[in-house]
Formats: sequence, C-alpha cells, structure tokens
Amino acid sequence: MKKTKFDFDLIVIGSGAGGSAAATIAAREGKRVAIVESDTFGGNSPNWGDVPIKALLHAAHLYNQARSGSRFGLRSSAISFNYPSLLDWKDLAVKRTGAGGNRGYYDEQGITTLHGLAHFLSPHEINVNRKHYSAGSFIIATGAEWKMPEIQGSDTVPLITPRELLDSKRLPKSLYIVGGGTTGVEIAQLMSTFGVKVVIADIASRLLPDYETEAGELLENLLTKNKNIHVLTQTRTVAIEKENIARRVTYSRGGHEHSLRVDQVLVCAGRRPNVDLGLENAGVKYSDKGIVVNSNLQTNVKHIYAAGDVLGEISGHTHTALMQSRIAAHNILSKKKIVPDYTATPHVIFTYPSIASVGLTEDDCLRRDLRIKKSFVPLSVTARSNVSDFHDGFVKLIADKNGVLIGATIMAPEAGESIQELALAVKSGLTTADIANTPHAFLTWSEAVRIAASKIS
Amino acid sequence: MGLAVDVVKRSGRRKTEMFDTDKLSRSIHSACLSVRTPEGQAESAASHVTGLVTLWITQKPAVTSNDLRRQVAYHLHRYHPDAAYYYLHQRSIL
Repeated sequence: MKKTKFDFDLIVIGSGAGGSAAATIAAREGKRVAIVESDTFGGNSPNWGDVPIKALLHAAHLYNQARSGSRFGLRSSAISFNYPSLLDWKDLAVKRTGAGGNRGYYDEQGITTLHGLAHFLSPHEINVNRKHYSAGSFIIATGAEWKMPEIQGSDTVPLITPRELLDSKRLPKSLYIVGGGTTGVEIAQLMSTFGVKVVIADIASRLLPDYETEAGELLENLLTKNKNIHVLTQTRTVAIEKENIARRVTYSRGGHEHSLRVDQVLVCAGRRPNVDLGLENAGVKYSDKGIVVNSNLQTNVKHIYAAGDVLGEISGHTHTALMQSRIAAHNILSKKKIVPDYTATPHVIFTYPSIASVGLTEDDCLRRDLRIKKSFVPLSVTARSNVSDFHDGFVKLIADKNGVLIGATIMAPEAGESIQELALAVKSGLTTADIANTPHAFLTWSEAVRIAASKIS
Repeated sequence: MGLAVDVVKRSGRRKTEMFDTDKLSRSIHSACLSVRTPEGQAESAASHVTGLVTLWITQKPAVTSNDLRRQVAYHLHRYHPDAAYYYLHQRSIL
C-alpha cells in the first residue's frame, strides 16, 4: 500500500515552552518539522510572563534592600529609580533569553517556521496565512491567555493584563488588581515597591488559596504592613466605570458595596486555554478548561498531542510545559509511551520573601483523608535569620504516617533554591529522617529544612 | 462585502471562496424566517450575529464552512435558539 505523504512529519502549533522542546527533539531525530507561532516566538514565559516580571522583581528587591540598609550602617538616602531605565533592563533580560528572535535557531535545526494563526481544516491539515499544510502528527501548544472576568462595565472600560502593564512606559499612580494568585501578588509587590498605591482583591478567603494557609496569611500581613497594599479578600469586583482619565471600581465585601478610584485595573484572575483553532474540524475534544488528553498527552485523535497551558489546570508552569513537550515528542516518536510525573513539580512565587512548594499541602491531605505528620518551623530559629536580620518566613513539612515526605512549603529568601532538595526527596520517597540526617550548611536558610525534618523524625 | 478570509467548503468538492458578510447575513435571515420568526426580529438577529461572527473571523486566515455554521449557531442561540438549531442542522433536516 502506498504510504500517505504529508508536507511535514510533525507540525507544532505554538513556540512556547510546550512546543519548542518537542519541535527540537523531533527535528534532531530527522523528522520534517514545522513550528507555527502567531505572536512573538518563544511564547508567554520569556516575552511577557515569567522573565520580564522576575527581572523587574529583582531590580525592585535590590532597590528595597538598598533603601532599608541603614540598620546595617549603610547610607542609602540618595537612592532612587528611573522607570524607563528599569524597563530597558527588563527588555535586555527578555532579549538575552533569545526567545523573541529565535527563528534563526529553528532554521539551524532544520525546522520550518510559520508565522501566523493556525487553523485546523481537517485532522491532518491546517491553514496558516491562507496556505494549507499537512502533517502526520501535530502537537498543540497554543498556551493560554488572561481570562477577562465578568465585571459590569468591563466591555467599555479597558482592563489591562500583566503584558500591557509591563509594556506601559509610565507607572500608574494607583492600581486595582483583580486576582490574588501568583502573578497578582508578584505584581502587587513589584508595583508597590516603585511607589504605586495597590489594592488587590480576590474572591477567596485569603491570598494564594492554592498554597498553605500560613503562606497566604503571612504574605498578606507583609504586603499590608511593609508595602501599604490594601488586601481585599472575600471580595467580588462588581463594576468598573470611567471617571475622567481614571476608573471607579465598585466591589462587594461582607454584604456591602464600596467603591474606589484608581488609575488602572489589572486582571490576573485565571487563564483561559487558547482552543479557538478549529479543533472541531480535526475532531479533537476540548472544553473551556482546555484540551482533553490521556495520560500520554494524546488527544482523542491519535496523531494529535497537546502540551503546556492549553491543557488547563494540568500545567501552569514553564517547567511543567517543558516536561510535557518532551514527553509528547517522545510519545510521537516512540512506540513505548511514557507518562508525565507531576508529584514533585515545584511551584515558586518570586515575592520577597519568596514562596516555594512541592507535593501536597495540608488541605490536600485533609481532602484525601490522609493520616499525616507535620512540622512548622519559623525562619527565626536559624542562624541565617540573625545575620540577615530577616525573620518573616517558615518551613512546613508534611510526611505520611511512615515519615515519608509528601509535601513541603518554604517561605524564605531564595525559597525556590531550597525547595529543590525537598522536590528530590518527594520524588525519591525519602523520609524526613533522611533529610534530618543530611548535613545542611551553617548560615544557610536550608538549616530550617533540617530542623523541620528533625521535628517529624 | 468580502473579507480576505478563505472559506473552505464543507465537502471539499466545491472551490474555496472568499468570506462574504452579505451571504452570511442572508443565510441567518433565512434560517430565522424558516422557523417563523417575524421579519424585524430576523433582520435584527442577522445583523447582530453577522457582526459577532465577522469580528471572530477577521483574526483567522481561513475557516471551514462548518466553523461558520458552529459560530453562527453559538451566537444565534442567544437571540433565537430554534433558529440556531435549524442553522446548525439545516442539511440533516432538509
């Protein structure tokens, strides 16, 4: 029988973390690969998400440290900032990732780059820029975009997303943030450090509802006390209207409606997978929550896979999308399928102090009716806390009844670095005794991890 | 009026054509009339739905006629659920 010929062996739709790794892996295996991107190559994380926000947060942290150096005998009264220069730094950091202009990289790998929106015409055919391309397999990695909440007046008064805020050449005087999740708190801290009056509102009873209660509550205290941020939990944003060049926001809290005037309203309340690419024509099942895949990341159409934020709640982090991308590529190329393992995926929030977690939270364990042992150690017990004069943070460990570590949360400076040993412990099934018996360097924040582990073991 | 968007026909037998807002509007109007909608309501629904579908289609390089059918039915459902059902299943009904 004559083998069906396609233009490509694999077409990857989306050049972000969910798509780029798969395209590279398949091309290195000698497959004819095309990658389609409708916006800037590299996707959300390096261009408008993680990288620019973290670059600015780093500058904000330095500024903050310098301003508060007088307690160490440092004279820092003259320090100030220039916002356009900060934006230049952010742009440099984005540029140095090489993601934005990496069409050349794909060309070197022998990957065909197509710039435009992809739209499925049939299970094996897409249209890009009014040209038809066919392929034997597809990986959909179109990512997600910020979801506009249903707020009265939001159709006439423009709300901004983090991308638009970071692209703006001027800082707003005041900012109302809808959504107290990871991005919401990072931007709240960033903006308030540079003098913006920030109000952050969330319908949940605390900030960071997906993290440990102690993390959300301590961060709320720090933002309120140190940054003068007005945190509105259990608050529903009801309406927005224009008031000259500003906006008047009406919100409902405790059964009463209040209103306030702000320069800008930022939306960070959840992301919506980009699924408007003619999936019906390919017969791919999806919902508002994302594309439906099996454990091998394969959709109901066997030659179409999906990876990254387009899967909805399964993903959400760049490192998770990268892992899925590699696995999707492997499963397309190999007969022996593998499944992604999410048990030791670390989550990091780059506030100061930063928050990092891995595995289950205490709430997760309660919902699953698991018998657990837990320990909670404030940072102030460590020698590092003394020499750095920093006390706001903790380490919380959760182990099963046999002492095997199943979850951990660290709130400390550079928590993202300290969480890695606990991610390895969760993945490898180590006990808290194993961690406690491992020497931890004196005068590091990770001493708190050892102390917390020894409390359980 | 034609937009620079290709409409790939349903069966693939007929040639791809340019998106035509008037043709779309007429088809919605006819679907509404077919389920005994008053003339004024049919015109209003056709006008609103054509606007919404045109807004959606301007971002697309090409769509299939099935895409158009689904988009029209999705938006028309707000104005006239019966007409939306008829529009979506017209071929199997007739």
